[in-house]
Amino acid sequence: MNRSLALIGCALTLAACGPKPADPSTQYGANPQLPDPHQYLLPPMKVAKASSWTKGETPTVAPGLKIQALAKGLMHPRTVYVLPNGDVLVVETSGPAAPLNRPKDFIMSLVQGMAGAGAKGGNRITLLRGLRANGGAASRNTFLEGLNSPFGVALIGSDLYVADTDALLRFPYVEGATSITAPGVKVTDLPGGPIDHHWTKSLVASPDGTKLYVGVGSNSNITENGIEAETNRAAIWEVDRVTGAHRLFATGLRNPTAVQWEPQTQALWTVVNERDEIGPNLVPDYLTSVKDGAFYGWPYSYYGQHVDIRVKPQRPDLVAKAIPPDYSLSSHVAPLGLVFSAGSALPAAYQNGAFVAEHGSWDRDPFNGYKVVFIPFIAGNPSGSPQDVVTGLLDAKQKTARGRPVGLAVDKGGGLLIADDLGDTVWRVTPN
Amino acid sequence: MPADNPRATNAGHPLHALIAPFPVALFSAALVTDLVYWRTAQDMWETFSIWLITFGLVVMVAAAVLGAVDFALKPRLRAQPMAWPHAIGDILALVLAFINAMVHSRDGYTAVVPTGLILSAVVVIVLVITGWMGDAIGATRR
Repeated sequence: MNRSLALIGCALTLAACGPKPADPSTQYGANPQLPDPHQYLLPPMKVAKASSWTKGETPTVAPGLKIQALAKGLMHPRTVYVLPNGDVLVVETSGPAAPLNRPKDFIMSLVQGMAGAGAKGGNRITLLRGLRANGGAASRNTFLEGLNSPFGVALIGSDLYVADTDALLRFPYVEGATSITAPGVKVTDLPGGPIDHHWTKSLVASPDGTKLYVGVGSNSNITENGIEAETNRAAIWEVDRVTGAHRLFATGLRNPTAVQWEPQTQALWTVVNERDEIGPNLVPDYLTSVKDGAFYGWPYSYYGQHVDIRVKPQRPDLVAKAIPPDYSLSSHVAPLGLVFSAGSALPAAYQNGAFVAEHGSWDRDPFNGYKVVFIPFIAGNPSGSPQDVVTGLLDAKQKTARGRPVGLAVDKGGGLLIADDLGDTVWRVTPN
Repeated sequence: MPADNPRATNAGHPLHALIAPFPVALFSAALVTDLVYWRTAQDMWETFSIWLITFGLVVMVAAAVLGAVDFALKPRLRAQPMAWPHAIGDILALVLAFINAMVHSRDGYTAVVPTGLILSAVVVIVLVITGWMGDAIGATRR
């Protein structure tokens, strides 16, 4: 009776009643604390109101580092990619219009709009070249246009691969070119619309240049759009770059937004955005090596065998096979960018490890994420807690956000590049 | 015009009584689509349910406003033995339907089973009872 009274009380006051948010540090690393799931009447929604950087304003960096804007005034930059000659490609992009299936979707789109997530991307790639004394790029060219919600980019020899939301495309690239006008050739279709919930297609080429790995996100939070809509999704595809044939390299990865090779072990790693609406401390987003043929749980379970009761029918056979990821980043940080530090010119403390861009939470109070962190590695595995590298994206009162980090890359000069899709800026972090 | 006729009328028809059947119909349909979803787990049926509940809520708020106008302006209507139970029952159904809409906005099977399905059934039962009370009020008026 008390419980049902509390239920009605919560409903009437529209308060987001539920578990208390835990300190994120209790969820870092290989063995995060996982509380019991909570089913909300009204899940918490807390977004930072979108604001912008004033002139001369920058994010805050850790001691010994310096941050400058490489380019400003971009159209929703999400990915940065460095070409062999040092040119930097910036993918300016946003998702296709989301279908409004349920009354909830109208509310969600309003809330996301407040956070600046509704900003229209350029559907193009911009090329930045050179450095001015003030840290800005010396020149800027529109490199490739007419794309369809592109995200991942990978160059193999003279073939430039671009992962649109619905297809993997190949373009001819000539070193030093500042634009590509030749039409793209479709390598393979990728799961796109009509529902295209997690639309980003992350991309990395295998070290030997024969295969491409594509991170394909799920088509829902937790199969609410039907299990048929999840065909070939929540997986990392391995694509033969010549024939376009693909197989599912690993599955059960809800939204693998970045894929990279760990330089020491040459293992494939990814960052994954886990499920929402079962509590402020569930389910932690993670960084993990990706084992060939492995199943990581989504949608049936998380962190191994923790069953998600929202999925029907359940699949105990698959849950039994699910393996836990390597390293928890804590809940709802929304990791969207990953790059290993090899080749960076940053101080010794950053020489062996991974940078992860945490776009920031929208369903948790207080916020989590909204920063770039560094996770030290030893012998190819994470060792120690995430360390703040870039912060200061939220204002002091934690009401508005000036920037939100997405794609990461290390440029030819060893600088860490950060695509900021709210601040419409590419930042460059260097030793001070 | 007799003294205990409702104020909120259209050409003499009491508006509250005119639209009161719609929420009952919509919430009953939601109960049916909930039952189908419970058995099939096909997300389409859950989508039907949440829209039916949403539209039911919209019409019910309108009915409640019209009912409240009658209730406030007509002391003789208010004096009827069924008036208070009818009003309180309708408010209870409205609150439960609102909570039900929130439960139905969850993702996955627990949007319906078991809480949503139970609430859908309770809302229909409460509305059938208050509807019968409303008819009794209307009958004495006639």
